[in-house]
Amino acid sequence: MNNKTGVLSFNWDKTLELLKDSRIDSVGLNDRVDSLATRSIKKESKLEALNMLVSMCDLTTLEGEDTEGKISQMVAKAIVPNPNDLEIKNVAAVCVYPSLVSIAKEKIGNSSVKVAAVSSYFPSGQVPMESKLLDTKYAIDSGADEIDIVINRKAFLEGDYRKVYDEILALKEVCGDVHLKTILEVGDLRTYENIRKASLISLAAGSDFIKTSTGKLSVGSSRQACYVMAKAVLDFKNLSGLSAGIKVAGGIRDAKDAIRYLVLIKEEMGNEWLTPDLFRFGASSLLDDVLKQIKKLKTGAYQASYYFPRG
Amino acid sequence: MVNWEYSESIESQDIVSIKDKYQNFVNGKFQQPNSKKYIDTISPSSEEFLSKIVISNEKDVDKAVESAQMGFEKWTNTTPYERSKYLFKLARLIQERSREFAVLESLDGGKPIKESRDFDLPQVAANFFYFAGWADKIDLSWGAKSLKPYGVVGQIIPWNFPLLMLAWKVAPALATGNTVVLKPAETTSLTALLFAELCEQAGIPDGVVNIITGDGTTGSLIVNHKDINKIAFTGSTQVGKLIQKSLAGRDVGLTLELGGKAANIVYEDAAIDQAVEGVVNGIFFNQGHVCCAGSRLLLQESIHDEFITKLEKRMQTLRVGNPLDKNTDIGAVNSKEQLNKIEELVNEGVSDGGKIFQTECELPGNGFWFKPTLFTDVQPSYSIAREEIFGPVLTTLTFRTPQEAIEIANNTEYGLSAGVWTEKGSKILWTADKLEAGVVWANTFNKFDPASPFGGYKESGFGREGGRHGLLSYLKAES
Amino acid sequence: MIEIKKTYKNYVGGKYVRSESGKTFTLSLKNDSFEVPLTSKKDIRDAVTASKKGFQNWSHISPYTKTQILYRLSEMIEGNKDSYIELLILGGSTRNQAKKDIETAIKNIVWYAGFADKWEQVAGNLNPVNGEYFNISHQNPIGVVFSLNADNNSLASLLNSILQPLTVGCSVISFSEESSIVALKFAEDINNSDFPDGSLNILSGQFENVYEDISKHVEINLVSINKEVPTEILTKIQENASNSVKRIIYMPSMDGISSVLPFLETKTVWHPKGT
Repeated sequence: MNNKTGVLSFNWDKTLELLKDSRIDSVGLNDRVDSLATRSIKKESKLEALNMLVSMCDLTTLEGEDTEGKISQMVAKAIVPNPNDLEIKNVAAVCVYPSLVSIAKEKIGNSSVKVAAVSSYFPSGQVPMESKLLDTKYAIDSGADEIDIVINRKAFLEGDYRKVYDEILALKEVCGDVHLKTILEVGDLRTYENIRKASLISLAAGSDFIKTSTGKLSVGSSRQACYVMAKAVLDFKNLSGLSAGIKVAGGIRDAKDAIRYLVLIKEEMGNEWLTPDLFRFGASSLLDDVLKQIKKLKTGAYQASYYFPRG
Repeated sequence: MVNWEYSESIESQDIVSIKDKYQNFVNGKFQQPNSKKYIDTISPSSEEFLSKIVISNEKDVDKAVESAQMGFEKWTNTTPYERSKYLFKLARLIQERSREFAVLESLDGGKPIKESRDFDLPQVAANFFYFAGWADKIDLSWGAKSLKPYGVVGQIIPWNFPLLMLAWKVAPALATGNTVVLKPAETTSLTALLFAELCEQAGIPDGVVNIITGDGTTGSLIVNHKDINKIAFTGSTQVGKLIQKSLAGRDVGLTLELGGKAANIVYEDAAIDQAVEGVVNGIFFNQGHVCCAGSRLLLQESIHDEFITKLEKRMQTLRVGNPLDKNTDIGAVNSKEQLNKIEELVNEGVSDGGKIFQTECELPGNGFWFKPTLFTDVQPSYSIAREEIFGPVLTTLTFRTPQEAIEIANNTEYGLSAGVWTEKGSKILWTADKLEAGVVWANTFNKFDPASPFGGYKESGFGREGGRHGLLSYLKAES
Repeated sequence: MIEIKKTYKNYVGGKYVRSESGKTFTLSLKNDSFEVPLTSKKDIRDAVTASKKGFQNWSHISPYTKTQILYRLSEMIEGNKDSYIELLILGGSTRNQAKKDIETAIKNIVWYAGFADKWEQVAGNLNPVNGEYFNISHQNPIGVVFSLNADNNSLASLLNSILQPLTVGCSVISFSEESSIVALKFAEDINNSDFPDGSLNILSGQFENVYEDISKHVEINLVSINKEVPTEILTKIQENASNSVKRIIYMPSMDGISSVLPFLETKTVWHPKGT
């Protein structure tokens, strides 16, 4: 959507230059993120935020036990999140393994819900490059609108940034116009400086989105990691003119936490980033809490889960 | 594009009850003052009347000092362990009633509830907790048995952190065995008077804490009172000098915590995004009504443009408005008088040739407000680069080398605080060593802790508040 | 036989100098009398200029080296013990008193010599602050100290008005009235020692001629008064001092850690602890 293969990605020398300025003070960063979390979002602004959350959700199921039945349920919920409140519009996308893309695509029909596939041997990515390319190509051929890949953390942690960059570049080439989201797996990278470097490498190599986590580690997304990525996206925009998106995933379970992400994005990046084109949540249980909160705001009563259909 | 704006989120005022009129707190109870002169105390964010406080006269000061003298005898006969427990009790009561104090502080002083709730009140409680523990360990503090309390301490505090400055003064004074006559600033007396209620509640022996309201005339009466043994003052350098002069030739202890014009040095190898945050916090915290505010931004020339761009963008997100709105970042200027002073200096900065940037925010109709302001293209000779503005106004200067940064930073009569931003360890230590300032924040700014001594070099005053060093402000060597 | 009498001069910036005014005054001791410099206001200004330079050098010398320079001073006084004793006797001391005075002086120097590399460990500390911060309070010497010496013609007293600021890295302008001879003789030992020029300056004169100037001089950071002065003069000094928030200490405590604290500024440095 934003980047076109090869044309707009940074060459390696320029990317290296970018990486030089990766200085971050973690305590100061945490301070800032904590202070943003004190924003009090009430009344209309809360309802507006909740509706945004729905529209930014990538409903996700990434399990060995996923079946056609499970995908059908999830797609139904993606299209009509709450059958009792049709003011609530569809979510942004459903996110599945490549083998389930064609089923998801078929169930979605004419709805504007996108199908995202995790590929490149999600979540570890520990296979030869040929396999990653094949995996991705298969997902695209099956009709995926968006591809979520993982970076090569082995190469990254060994200091082989060039390899990380080359792989993303090659996968982007396979994607063509298909939206590429690159997962950094911040829980593996640990330090904010690593997260910044991985963000910049991914952006320079042509990713349309950078994404925090696979959701398969105990350490998933954090607002701190999101902040680092937001700053990287802004700095990259200053250099390239390109606005990349951010997807946060893993461990975001309730609306309150998710709204804090929106506050962070609004205050650090501006309202223009508050669109599903540039900001997404990958989650499975977040949507339920958001729906509950919407109903609570509209009715004034706290809700039980059984009022809402399973996804 | 969505236009997501935060709805109002107003902290309820129901928790506080303000009397129509206040008396002085002397000898353990609120008492009818002798003075008949009362002034209105208003809310600077709305200019609404809150209450009346008395301008205490000579008789009132006499009475308070006399009470403190009697209190001193009682306090001296109270064991250190008991004194410690009284302070712990006060600390606990403050924690329990902290929301009430926070709302009152924001109402009376104009600071955002976010700050009074998350900064001032937790720090107030922490100060009492910290010094409570020293009360029965004074002999361990400096290993000197000859250190003794002064006796009756006169304490005059400013309007920028009304209750916190009270805590900084009262907690160590009591822990070291002194008794106090405290005068809050005339625009912000209400939380001090609420604290007086707490002293009653805690059962602090009569006369140990005396709180009398008033203006500069009352302050001067305290300073010149013949039975005062020590004065602790926080406020402007101008008034501090007057106090020092008044005490000349008298055997009265003195500590002064005065003005500042802190340099916040940003080197080119700093973590820029955190430096921007630190610079913003350094000058816009508490409307810039902070003596240690990082009011002079010293930028290395090589990063000037990039930094200013990021800084201006960040400044635009500052929310100015109702102090009781939980999302307000910058509240009201404390008084009309202070607003006039800020406006005057800013106008001077513009006519001197400084380039001014102010954020695009709407200011409320009533009350006293000033937009977050940044000056660039400033010469070190401009008054905005030399004088303490005490408002949300940041002045930028540039430098080329570390040596030059130090020269500019130290080129001031003040020496309260300074900031330095670089990711290079040895440069931090080199810079911190050379800065003539009592507090140096490296890769951070405006951090406070009861355990951390605070106070100035040069004309920013003498003596320290906080930490082991803060005890010395209330102890004198007796041979 | 005509006695060849020694001419005593002020000691400023590492040099023996006459008062620029050319004036002297007669110092009558019990058993002799001397012409000594009558320090003028201009001499004070020169001494401050020298002291500022001296401060830059002395304050940056390592604590270990300070210890050695101070200890070397004690060795020199020990070597000149007899001549000091004779001088004190001229001032009216008995031989025994004089001997004891010099021994006390040496003892004090040795004590402070050994303190030059330790006071920072006693006066400073890490502060256990809340949050992820390293926070340390340590001290810097306050700068140029003017010290008024007592009148008891004693080397021990003179040193007791100098050693505390000197040990922590201040430069000192020591001013004596009735004890000038001892002070001016002591200057010779300073000159033979390794103190940087201007770190310790010795002046003689009448305090009443200079107190206005020293209390108004902004570049004198602290005035230490080690003898009783009339209340009106003390008041005037403190009033003048308030113009620049100058520190004035009157008859300061002279032992232990509290003896050096007035000559120090406490600096507290914060730094985050993170990754």
